[in-house]
Amino acid sequence: MSWITIIWSMVASACLTLAAIHLLAWCQKRSKWAYLLFSLAAAGTAGLVFAEFCAMRAETTGEFGMCLRWGHVPFWVLLISLVGFVRLYMRAGRLWLAWTICGLRTLSLILNFAFMPNINYREITVLRHVQFLGESASVVAGIPNPWMLVGQTSLLLFLVFLVDVTLTLRRRGERRSMLILSSTMVFFIAASTAQFMLSFWGIDASPLRPSLFFLGVVVAMAYELSREAVKAVQLSDELRESEERMTLAAEAAGFGVWMWTIATNRVWGSERWHRLFGFEPGVEVGYEMVSQRIHPDDREWVESAVRRASGDRGDFAVEYRVILPDGTQRWVSAQGRRYPDAQGRPARMMGAVIDITGRKKAELEIERQSNELAHVSRVSTMGQLASSLAHELNQPLGAILRNAEAGELFLQDPSPDLDELRSILADIRKDDQRAGEVIDRMRDFMKQRKAERRRLDLNLLVGDVATLVRPNVEKRRVRLALETDPALPPVHGDRVQLQQVLLNLLLNAVDALDENPPARRLVTVRTRPVGAMAEVAVSDTGQGISADKLLRVFEPFFTSKPNGLGMGLAISRNIIEAHRGRLWVENNEAGGATFTITLPMAEGGDAK
Amino acid sequence: MNAPVPVVRIVDDDASFLAAVARMLRASGFAVKTFASAVEFLGRPELDVPGCVLVDLQMPDLNGLDLQEALAKEGHRLPVIFLTGHGDIPTTVLAMRRGAEDFLTKRAPKADLLDAVKRALDRDSLERAGRARLEALRARFAALTEREREVLQHVVRGRLNKQIAFDLGIHERTVKLHRTSITTKLGVHSAAELTKLCMEAGGLDV
Repeated sequence: MSWITIIWSMVASACLTLAAIHLLAWCQKRSKWAYLLFSLAAAGTAGLVFAEFCAMRAETTGEFGMCLRWGHVPFWVLLISLVGFVRLYMRAGRLWLAWTICGLRTLSLILNFAFMPNINYREITVLRHVQFLGESASVVAGIPNPWMLVGQTSLLLFLVFLVDVTLTLRRRGERRSMLILSSTMVFFIAASTAQFMLSFWGIDASPLRPSLFFLGVVVAMAYELSREAVKAVQLSDELRESEERMTLAAEAAGFGVWMWTIATNRVWGSERWHRLFGFEPGVEVGYEMVSQRIHPDDREWVESAVRRASGDRGDFAVEYRVILPDGTQRWVSAQGRRYPDAQGRPARMMGAVIDITGRKKAELEIERQSNELAHVSRVSTMGQLASSLAHELNQPLGAILRNAEAGELFLQDPSPDLDELRSILADIRKDDQRAGEVIDRMRDFMKQRKAERRRLDLNLLVGDVATLVRPNVEKRRVRLALETDPALPPVHGDRVQLQQVLLNLLLNAVDALDENPPARRLVTVRTRPVGAMAEVAVSDTGQGISADKLLRVFEPFFTSKPNGLGMGLAISRNIIEAHRGRLWVENNEAGGATFTITLPMAEGGDAK
Repeated sequence: MNAPVPVVRIVDDDASFLAAVARMLRASGFAVKTFASAVEFLGRPELDVPGCVLVDLQMPDLNGLDLQEALAKEGHRLPVIFLTGHGDIPTTVLAMRRGAEDFLTKRAPKADLLDAVKRALDRDSLERAGRARLEALRARFAALTEREREVLQHVVRGRLNKQIAFDLGIHERTVKLHRTSITTKLGVHSAAELTKLCMEAGGLDV
């Protein structure tokens, strides 16, 4: 039986089949360069097998030389693609070594065609026939070509390269199959080189057959690649399943799921998502169409949040209003995340939307109620300040009156002093302005209004409130000391509500001093930055708060004053917590109590 | 001797009101001096100059009541008129009880303010005149000798020369001499006049 024919042609066809399959796979997925390189390696092996087969069948030394000569071409393809495969697929190996191997091999190929008959022999002298696998095969002997060393060196370096790769993989803790692949490559390539050398130098009398060893390499590579393919199929199955599970869960939880492909501007959405935005199910939707459904007041900042997310932030979470085609309004909470493509550019955004209309309504109602409560408390606080305000208004009004009277008296003079009259009028104007400011401040404070968040300087607020209470404070012989730190960061909040809290704390502090002798009636307001927070502390030098009351002072309707409502501190804490801040009380070591507020710094940091 | 011009002192921490009220009082013909605080006012030496004080009740540090108290402690009797942005009853009562001349809001009618100032100035000049008379009187009494004072005690009690002589163990004629000396020194002409003078000077035990 002619085993040689059978084995060699089977090996060649197996290699060609593998090459064809992986070439096709690469055509499907151009980014998988490993498939192309493997395909080339398999084709190269097939070519080598063919050259070997021809050499075994050679009748003359000339024929044998030609077979060996042309066999170098597929071998060059094989070696170069193996180097490439290792670098690409295993992501290991030294680059300079890879280039040196490729360079030497190419040089060896060029030299091969420069010499006759080839780079291995300067001259083939003898051709014998030996019995091999029950068939006669050609074996030659001749004068070796010293340039053969170039090719041998490239092979030796390739072995070194592979050993280095194996060690790197081991050190990296790569998965086992990868290690097995690289070790297999080391073994088969060492074996094939050894067989070639033994046969070349006539130590082994059998014919040249290094290609068979390369079959081992090809099979090991194919096995690794197919494992990967199988795993990809498994993963895609699992992914589909998990996707289905997620869609189901999202539907059950009331979430609408969406995905926006930025390049095509197409927005894919689940059925519920279509319903939430008032689109017919299955309608193709673009980004602009979604944007049109957002309430005009919210549109700009929602879009800026999305822009930031597609930029460097990566994700967003916003609550906004959607206007449906029939005009109904709906609140939604939306979250999204950016997914970059292979180059790291934002390619898609995915996220979920849920209807929060009910919750939002309840929140707005609570906000309205707490605003109303705060207003009532403000009005009652103002009541406490009534005499203080009357004083503050009578001051400028009195000055206006006296100035007007003085003016009248001047005019009785036959030649009145016009300069004096002018300065009287200027003073009247100034005092009128002053009275107006008092009224404006009071009206601002008493107005029933919606909370409005702004960037605020707490130091200015402390100053305003101190002005408001000063007459009241002076009348009660209390000294008010302000120790404001100019480094205090700005906060984000509602001016009137925060003023209300400060006013409350100040009036409480003044009330706490009624029992003290005038010399020991001191209220201190201190501000300072604490990390990313702004702190305001209001201290008195009164009796302090007894331990059993210390925890209860913030409870609604808890009061220690005969005519107190007991809402001031409860509302104050409510306001501060709505500003994501904290309000607490401690007794001072030296007597009295300190109420402290901390509020988070406004976004955008310390630039005032 | 020319009496010094009475000065209305105004003390208020509100510069604008201080200027306005000073301007009005000046235009009404008063001599005016302004002070921005009680401390500044009390630190000035010319407290003896006649006049009155117009003071804001509510001021930081020393307020109007403190100023009144400090004045009284020093023995100055300048009449004090309180001004307030907004008066409450307890403070008014306290101020009046301490002898405030008047208590006005800052927006009181001009006539009320001028009346109060005039009244205060009148009272001050009256009190000053009375005090001056008393001083002079006391100086006259101070000129009496020990024995003359003893005699005077008896005279104002309405005792006769004979009884006085017996009580003091001296001759009746000596008593007569003492009486002549007393009436000359005090510049009176009758026993009735003498008694009145003694009462003015502060009781009978001179």
